[in-house]
Amino acid sequence: MIHFITLAFKNIFRQKKRSLTLGVNYSFVTFVLVLLLAFSTGATRNIRNNLIRASAGHITITGQYVKEGRVYLGIPETSKVVELAKNALGNAEILARYQVRSAMYYKGLSKMLLFVGIDTIRDTGYRDQMTFLAGSWDRFVGDPNGVLLPKDIASYYGLELGDETVLSTRSRFGAFNTGILKVEGIYTTNNFFANGAVLTHFDFLRRLDLSGSNTSSTLYVYLKHPNNVDEKRNQLMSVLKANGFQVSRPTNDAEAISVISSASTKYQVDESGNDRVELRVATINEVLGIVRSVLKAVNAVGAVITAIMLFIIAISIFINLRMTINERLREIGTMRAIGMESGGVTLLFVFENIILSLLFTAVGVVAAVGVSLLFRYLIVLPSAGNLGLFLDMGHFVLIPTIGGIALVVAITTLSTALFAFFPARKGGKITPVEALNKVF
Amino acid sequence: MGLKRISLRSAALILIAAVIAVSIPAQQSEPRALKIVTEFQNKLNLEGLDITNTFNLVQKKPGEADRVLQIKVYRRDAADMFTLIFQYPPSEKGKGYFREGDNLYLYLPTTREFVYRNRKDDVGSTDVRTDTFGRLELEKQYALSYDGQTTIASWECDVIGLKARQLDVSFPIQKWFVRRSDGLPVKVENYSASGTLLRTVYYIQYQSVGNGKEIFTKLLSMDNLQPGQKTYITNEGISASKIENYVFSKAYLEQQSR
Repeated sequence: MIHFITLAFKNIFRQKKRSLTLGVNYSFVTFVLVLLLAFSTGATRNIRNNLIRASAGHITITGQYVKEGRVYLGIPETSKVVELAKNALGNAEILARYQVRSAMYYKGLSKMLLFVGIDTIRDTGYRDQMTFLAGSWDRFVGDPNGVLLPKDIASYYGLELGDETVLSTRSRFGAFNTGILKVEGIYTTNNFFANGAVLTHFDFLRRLDLSGSNTSSTLYVYLKHPNNVDEKRNQLMSVLKANGFQVSRPTNDAEAISVISSASTKYQVDESGNDRVELRVATINEVLGIVRSVLKAVNAVGAVITAIMLFIIAISIFINLRMTINERLREIGTMRAIGMESGGVTLLFVFENIILSLLFTAVGVVAAVGVSLLFRYLIVLPSAGNLGLFLDMGHFVLIPTIGGIALVVAITTLSTALFAFFPARKGGKITPVEALNKVF
Repeated sequence: MGLKRISLRSAALILIAAVIAVSIPAQQSEPRALKIVTEFQNKLNLEGLDITNTFNLVQKKPGEADRVLQIKVYRRDAADMFTLIFQYPPSEKGKGYFREGDNLYLYLPTTREFVYRNRKDDVGSTDVRTDTFGRLELEKQYALSYDGQTTIASWECDVIGLKARQLDVSFPIQKWFVRRSDGLPVKVENYSASGTLLRTVYYIQYQSVGNGKEIFTKLLSMDNLQPGQKTYITNEGISASKIENYVFSKAYLEQQSR
């Protein structure tokens, strides 16, 4: 067998131009496929990490409550839910946030913005991702009416450090309320999901919304070991249910996304006559469901492109082998005359193509991994716009995995073996007499 | 220095909000204020009459072209109902509100659905709230106080202070300036829960519709948070003819949008 492989390897270099032409196809297909899988893996991981650092937990809890026939958004018994979650999940960290959609006014300009109220002592995830253009995190923490503005929003209003703005919002009960915020920081961030966050203090927003002291908009649960998230969510749901809460999980991608994007007032009547608290508990995997669907679609397009390219390769192999067999009839005749079986000739030609495929697939893999590393560690892209979704600190996240590379190599090798087998078998079936007759 | 100032302001806001939330339900209206409010509500609430009219709203914003809206209003105060149908501009045509008691529904013809709204929803993103078109129940929603006298334009006016009994009203604090000569309000100041002046409304002209009832024909609403932004309303085609019952229904709104 080793002789076959050695011979096949040598034969590749007999027609260098032809081998190179076919090989480039292999390299290109491999390059595209590996990059596509690297993009898919990288995007999922990057979006997951960025979401967790900005606006989602491993498990995210939102809710609404019905009181005297009216429905209000939020979690009214926050401390109880936190305590139950800690009991259910052990040493998980749980952070409460308050979100309000409100108009902000400054010198005749106004705009509806989403304000995120955080506990500045415990909830420091944003701090570690911010680059301050003016002010600082400490200034913000020290001022209960302080606000941190993204650069774009500060520019829109022409706001500078120390300026005061007015917020006016319709509170959860319907009454308008106003508050004054002082700019204590202007920042930029490379995290797509933290990019537009207008950060204020939790208590400021809670008071603005005229809600009770034990109310929050969202609870983020961060697990020490974020494996088996679904199982842990089920544990949490059981405990909450046993303590009188109505608990549900998102039934589709849109519901899962709404868990991390809900804010502000909801005007709805409830005619059931039962006051209750309804909690929705979503895992980060469910929140990412819509991302996965999009990436699946991207991968499906990649699969179609790959199929077309493999078809082109199949035709190339067929033509290439037919030409090779015609050119090497004397050699086939000689091999058959000295006793090589038909299967041996077939195997030799199949081996030649597999080795060629492996060589150039390796080149494609190296190129794809190189490009991935280049984007991930050297090339910095502007994080503005939708491209920012796929960037981590300005780097395009492409993560080629061993599994992905093995899959691509397996696909190209198997398809090569398949496409080479049929023309090779035809060559192998030529008898010595027939072969030598065609030559002489 | 700045921090200290903000902290004091913050403390003041908390105090005001706390006072509103905790103490208001226990407050009683002052008899003098209640009498003035009852008198003008008797004139402005049109029980016993069906009113059909058309409002033309012109919204002015600094640096922007004027925005014009035309709204047909069917009003039956006896049943606390009204139906509002947008007629202009074409982009808003077919949109409408239906109010029945405390429930207000916005009909969106593009999606053919009704959305439950707070009964004080703003009309077409203007400075005018839907409760401007309906029956007033100030004495139920607010604790009333008599805050003295003042002069608005050339009219001697009584000043009535309103503080919300519950926070499900748009403006938890209000001041109504009521003309002493005819007992009709000429100016209203609306404040937020924390005491910021949000909007000032001027009732410029009224028209009698019979039975001692009055309806405003010219109104100016000014946004105090955005100086220069105001909405001017004229009320035309006022009729007190009987309106068919089916007009006060969601089905009628749907039908009108087709």
